[in-house]
Amino acid sequence: MGRRKKIVQECERLMDKPENIRNIAIAAHIDHGKTTLTDNLLAGAGMISKDLAGKQLAMDTEEDEQERGITIDAANVSMTHEWEGTNHLINLIDTPGHVDFGGDVTRAMRAVDGALVVVDAVEGTMPQTETVVRQALREGVKPALFINKVDRLINELQEGPQEMQERLQSVIADVNELIRGMAEEKYENEGWKVSVQDGTVAFGSALYNWAVSLPSMQETGIDFGDIIEYNRNDNVEELKERSPLSDVVLDMVAEHFPNPLDAQPERIPTIWRGDDQSDIARQMREVDPEGEVVFMVTDISMDPHAGEIATGRLFSGTLERGQDLYVSGTAGTNRIQSVGIFMGGEREEVEHVPAGNIASVTGLRDAIAGSTVSSVEMTPFESIEHISEPVITKSVEAKSMDDLPKLIETLQQVSKEDPTIKVEINEDTGEHLISGQGELHLEVITQRIERKRGIPVTTGEPIVVYRESPTRASDTVEGVSPNRHNKFYITAEPLPQGVVDAIKLGDASMDMPELERREALQEAGMDKETSQNVEHIFGTNVLIDDTKGIQHLNETMELVIEGLEEALDDGPLAREPVQGALIRLHDAKLHEDTIHRGPAQVIPAVREAVHRSLIDAQVRLLEPIQNVRIDVPSEHMGAASGEIQGRRGQVDDMYQEGDLMVVEGVAPVEEMIGFASDIRSATEGRASWNTENAGFRVMADNLQREKIMEIRERKGMKLELPASIDYI
Amino acid sequence: MLTFVGLGLYDERSITVEGRDALRGADRVFAEFYTSKLLGATVADLEAHHGVEIEVRDRAGVEQRPDPILDAAETEDVVFLTAGDTMISTTHADLRLRAIERGVDARVIHGVTAESAASGLTGLQNYRFGKAVTLPFPYAHGADGVPKSVTESVEANRERGLHTLVYLDIKAERDEYMTADAAASTLATDWNDALGVVVARAGSPDPVVAADRLSALAERDFGDPLHLLVIPGDLHHIEADALRELAGAPPELLEPI
Repeated sequence: MGRRKKIVQECERLMDKPENIRNIAIAAHIDHGKTTLTDNLLAGAGMISKDLAGKQLAMDTEEDEQERGITIDAANVSMTHEWEGTNHLINLIDTPGHVDFGGDVTRAMRAVDGALVVVDAVEGTMPQTETVVRQALREGVKPALFINKVDRLINELQEGPQEMQERLQSVIADVNELIRGMAEEKYENEGWKVSVQDGTVAFGSALYNWAVSLPSMQETGIDFGDIIEYNRNDNVEELKERSPLSDVVLDMVAEHFPNPLDAQPERIPTIWRGDDQSDIARQMREVDPEGEVVFMVTDISMDPHAGEIATGRLFSGTLERGQDLYVSGTAGTNRIQSVGIFMGGEREEVEHVPAGNIASVTGLRDAIAGSTVSSVEMTPFESIEHISEPVITKSVEAKSMDDLPKLIETLQQVSKEDPTIKVEINEDTGEHLISGQGELHLEVITQRIERKRGIPVTTGEPIVVYRESPTRASDTVEGVSPNRHNKFYITAEPLPQGVVDAIKLGDASMDMPELERREALQEAGMDKETSQNVEHIFGTNVLIDDTKGIQHLNETMELVIEGLEEALDDGPLAREPVQGALIRLHDAKLHEDTIHRGPAQVIPAVREAVHRSLIDAQVRLLEPIQNVRIDVPSEHMGAASGEIQGRRGQVDDMYQEGDLMVVEGVAPVEEMIGFASDIRSATEGRASWNTENAGFRVMADNLQREKIMEIRERKGMKLELPASIDYI
Repeated sequence: MLTFVGLGLYDERSITVEGRDALRGADRVFAEFYTSKLLGATVADLEAHHGVEIEVRDRAGVEQRPDPILDAAETEDVVFLTAGDTMISTTHADLRLRAIERGVDARVIHGVTAESAASGLTGLQNYRFGKAVTLPFPYAHGADGVPKSVTESVEANRERGLHTLVYLDIKAERDEYMTADAAASTLATDWNDALGVVVARAGSPDPVVAADRLSALAERDFGDPLHLLVIPGDLHHIEADALRELAGAPPELLEPI
């Protein structure tokens, strides 16, 4: 513990010297040894016991990660390393190797300046290595290469020095091909090409804890012959002593990755879209610890003691306890409760963290992964458009009723840690429903509930989430209250796409001052008069009050809105949520006495009128679609595009990127269930692919009725549509 | 034939003789007790006393599914009962119109209603009342406090020197009846020192009538429901005398015009 405390103190000292800081990520294919490498780097830096390293998997803090042997959430560690007589602080963000967790990878890459690419010497670069490296290069992150598992070349493949060098050269060539394809300018002119001669390539074995590079060979005199010798003679211990992994790799990190002072002027324009002439842009470029606080949250995790922890990169300013900071996409400020840095799975609290570091803070209750947190309101790094609506739902039930309270608590935590997960209760069945971005996403979440909290659960089949939306303007529809003393006159029409987008992006909302909202709506394409009469925004639906001077309507409006929301939550076709509807209230006739225009009268009248107006507006079923991107060698291109086309999808583009063909297209989420295994067998596992939810699309007319009936049956609704739905 | 019969204010004997005869002669009897309720008699008491069977309908059973009532009325003599008067402070005019739409004869046999008790017990003259209002439970009108329409109506009446009869919310299905002290306390936020008159258990053998400042009424307990509240406007000298004699109003609050 004494040693650990000393390291923390050393970290605290180094935090104030940006020139000695390196913020890096490791990019690798699953099983290429990323986690073992991280552990041994930590052990070399004295952060964890050397005996445990390689077995402890310190960064895979989630149990399911340790069991699956894959890394799902980006976790974070800091360590110190002496290079050329100066101590350096190395902040390392771990990234998932699996493409389904792509949002995490992108975020991690925005927070770092260097990417250590890890490749298995035997397997070579794999599609997922390429995906992750491409993401790093897209975000302007500088690469360096570590070729891992070199011991297998010697011990398993019995290769000699010549064969070994050829194999390693070919790995280096593959990686360089990738870099040149994505960042040609920097490859040619700025030393982004990785090479043994420049010292931007290292070889070794993370498991056996040794490594070499050209600089280390020059220093220690160890060459390839020696390495083979040590391995064949079962004397790896000595090799480990003479040329330890952590020294060689961390030397490379310290020498070749830029420090924040060098990196931020280059990277801010790449990853931030705000005004580059502003003070805040200058402070970020200069890594100014005296500047405004600009903190990009890459990860939210739950700590049993500290509570919710937000981790991310601090580009400017200094984080301290008690600061009141803005969180992008939310109103008001949050107060920082504590500031810290990560060490393995543990968090160490410190007094302050200055610009240029990876920090972890508590108290940001409104922050989610991707939030920009700042001391002044500013353009965020990531707009909320990237936080997609969930498209797949699964029911989760505790096997034992006793676990129910624990399950509810766990589900609440899960939705905070991962903003793309939504949790709700099915009022009819009492089941908990979790909704997320895709099949695997939900699978991982449910397994985590079982393992992390030890709650055995049963889950239902994944169900795709649909929407309902009007397709034309309706005539005026009359809604009558049960006592027939109250009437509402309502129309429905499609809301212009620009307005839908503005609402989704948060550019127009009921939280805004009225004038600002009016302007935003007009800018998005709403006419002036309509924008002045906006009464309510619900989801991407807008209620317009076009009535004039109706007595008592004001105090009835709450109930009108309640009826409207009920109608829109459960659309008329299949009780799926309505989106993109502009509902106008034209007139209302109300009873004199409050009691006869209460909830029992107004809510059903409005609900009924909204549904009938939507039907007259030819409401149709929408299904979620995904953009699909497949990176595949050209010989498998046909098979890959066939996988999209065979799923009611369309291929929009095919082009060459580096040495691979890229197939881009769109397909319905429903049809994408099971895609993972189909694409694997269609392309002999050579394809890497990525999906991103792309909103909702009207289903083809010939599929509407069948799908509506299928949903109604599942929900136990009547299997007859109202006679007025005669257009599908 | 559909006959609307008001049961009057309190128990099985509050009905008129004409109403009683119609009730006892009916083929089928329906009733609703969601708009008001007899506090001195249960449905069983009514059935036993009049020797009839009563089918009680809830709100949806009257407003949304009135067909069983109307179907029966096409061929039989049907009586539809409510407490008080069937057409006062209800929306049953709608049911009457639906009956007429279907060619069913409909007539009304009046009952004694809270409105006449409000005048009768307090001595406030029925000529001098303005618009009546209902004070709803906060949860029942979707907002906090007093609905603006209630405030505005009371204000408008006061400006013209008229009395306001304030009906107090009844949620029969939840067995909740707003009490006059609770109502006075709510209204006291707007008219703290104004005079109010409570009428409790009108039509019963032991009605209570009490006049005082709203803030003072809010502190008192008027016993079992049903209650109602009057906010008097300007007082005629006989009204002032009546409030002093019948309702124990503090003299300093009574300024006859």
